[in-house]
Amino acid sequence: MEGKEEDVRVGANKFPERQPIGTSAQTDKDYKEPPPAPFFEPGELSSWSFYRAGIAEFIATFLFLYITVLTVMGVKRAPNMCASVGIQGIAWAFGGMIFALVYCTAGISGGHINPAVTFGLFLARKLSLTRAVFYIVMQCLGAICGAGVVKGFQPNPYQTLGGGANTVAHGYTKGSGLGAEIIGTFVLVYTVFSATDAKRSARDSHVPILAPLPIGFAVFLVHLATIPITGTGINPARSLGAAIIYNKDHAWDDHWIFWVGPFIGAALAALYHQLVIRAIPFKSRS
Amino acid sequence: MTKDELTEEESLSGKDYLDPPPVKTFEVRELKKWSFYRAVIAEFIATLLFLYVTVLTVIGFKSQTDINAGGGACASVGLLGISWAFGGMIFILVYCTAGISGGHINPAVTFGLFLASKVSLVRAVSYMVAQCLGATCGVGLVKVFQSTYYNRYGGGANMLSDGYNVGVGVGAEIIGTFVLVYTVFSATDPKRNARDSHIPVLAPLPIGFSVFMVHLATIPITGTGINPARSFGAAVIYNNQKAWDDQWIFWVGPFVGAAIAAFYHQFVLRAGAMKAYGSVRSQLHELHA
Repeated sequence: MEGKEEDVRVGANKFPERQPIGTSAQTDKDYKEPPPAPFFEPGELSSWSFYRAGIAEFIATFLFLYITVLTVMGVKRAPNMCASVGIQGIAWAFGGMIFALVYCTAGISGGHINPAVTFGLFLARKLSLTRAVFYIVMQCLGAICGAGVVKGFQPNPYQTLGGGANTVAHGYTKGSGLGAEIIGTFVLVYTVFSATDAKRSARDSHVPILAPLPIGFAVFLVHLATIPITGTGINPARSLGAAIIYNKDHAWDDHWIFWVGPFIGAALAALYHQLVIRAIPFKSRS
Repeated sequence: MTKDELTEEESLSGKDYLDPPPVKTFEVRELKKWSFYRAVIAEFIATLLFLYVTVLTVIGFKSQTDINAGGGACASVGLLGISWAFGGMIFILVYCTAGISGGHINPAVTFGLFLASKVSLVRAVSYMVAQCLGATCGVGLVKVFQSTYYNRYGGGANMLSDGYNVGVGVGAEIIGTFVLVYTVFSATDPKRNARDSHIPVLAPLPIGFSVFMVHLATIPITGTGINPARSFGAAVIYNNQKAWDDQWIFWVGPFVGAAIAAFYHQFVLRAGAMKAYGSVRSQLHELHA
């Protein structure tokens, strides 16, 4: 008898009932919109979790570029497309790697791995300016190191086969390249917002099981669409890493497209999600 | 008493998860339990199936794309299909055996988890032996089905490709295995389980995807080992001089990569050392008080 009571009490404490069983009445929301992050949060600079998050972003972006640029080089070096994983394999490398890495780092740093995502989330007041800048710096450094390792593996082929750098392909104007980057990044960042939405989390019973998968698929699909145009940047760190290690004029000539495009796309996604889909500022007013 | 202690500990820490205590290195009591032998058998069967499907896919690809034998360059599943075979099989096999043995299917994963004190030495060694035996049997099945094709098309063995030096091969294996073992650590982290409301639904999927990704990137370099049992099994059955000459790359690389992943996860992401320091400091506090 005493043992049974003990079990019941322990169980009750372990899994507290969130709301009465059986009732379907929903008088108010079962989620809370997190408050806007302050622009400057001095306290986080003295917290280990801040630097751990930066390290995680660095390692994730390093691995991202190592795998993806190495895959690109494998395709370029092959005698024909069918002797390699092909363009589709490249798209899978980018999308699949984002899925795996977002999954691994979501709980550590939020799993951005992309300055455009960081910028979009910053505009939506989901992280502070100091954290956003720190993440972007770490992402760029990780990207440079990742591309550097790939060059270290095969210095000559890397330089003669384009180094995995993003450039606007023949037959496309810079305007087309810019447009492709804007819309491509919009798809990605909009998916990120949807996957991390507090309201959606409530609908999924607060189990964020699938968030990384649609984000990875968004990257995969955009690559399927825009690899012929720009090799698909939609990630300024990825473009910067390859451009720095490859270091050729035509890569640098087009490089501005891979910062302006993604940042505009991220801003549009932030506006769309926060103002249109969630209408958060108008709710705050009332 | 035990439950009371757990409850107090949980309420004190404010977390809804407990990091399991480190497994004793020399734990021998598990040798008396059926679950131990069941786990070893599960690792054997899983690795056998893994090698059977993947090496059969590789041999099929090479035979169908052999121009000299009437094949066509695009007449097979391609390297993308091979990568899917490796990643997809890891996904479903980890899914099937996670609850039985932890779903390692890879000596490097076992080694990484051993370094993190999540499996005992006895269990780690037993798993590795079972994995190597399973891999050998799996490739043996492939050879039995088609010994002529098998011998003609390289036996699915891992060897350093022309144009790459040994350092590049080892580097590729180290980083590739780091990706895999790091994903395994993330997927099995108790803190993550708590955040996912203790529903381990998707853990095998990112693990399978990380294997898929690494194969996309490094098949041109080494055929992608990142699994010493896989490389060992193919080398034994193919029994070719070059396969054996390069075999050390596929043990040193993966084990180094697994060790780095274990260190990164335990000491950077989970800050184990910091927590130890914190506990020492709190003890000093108690001493002063």
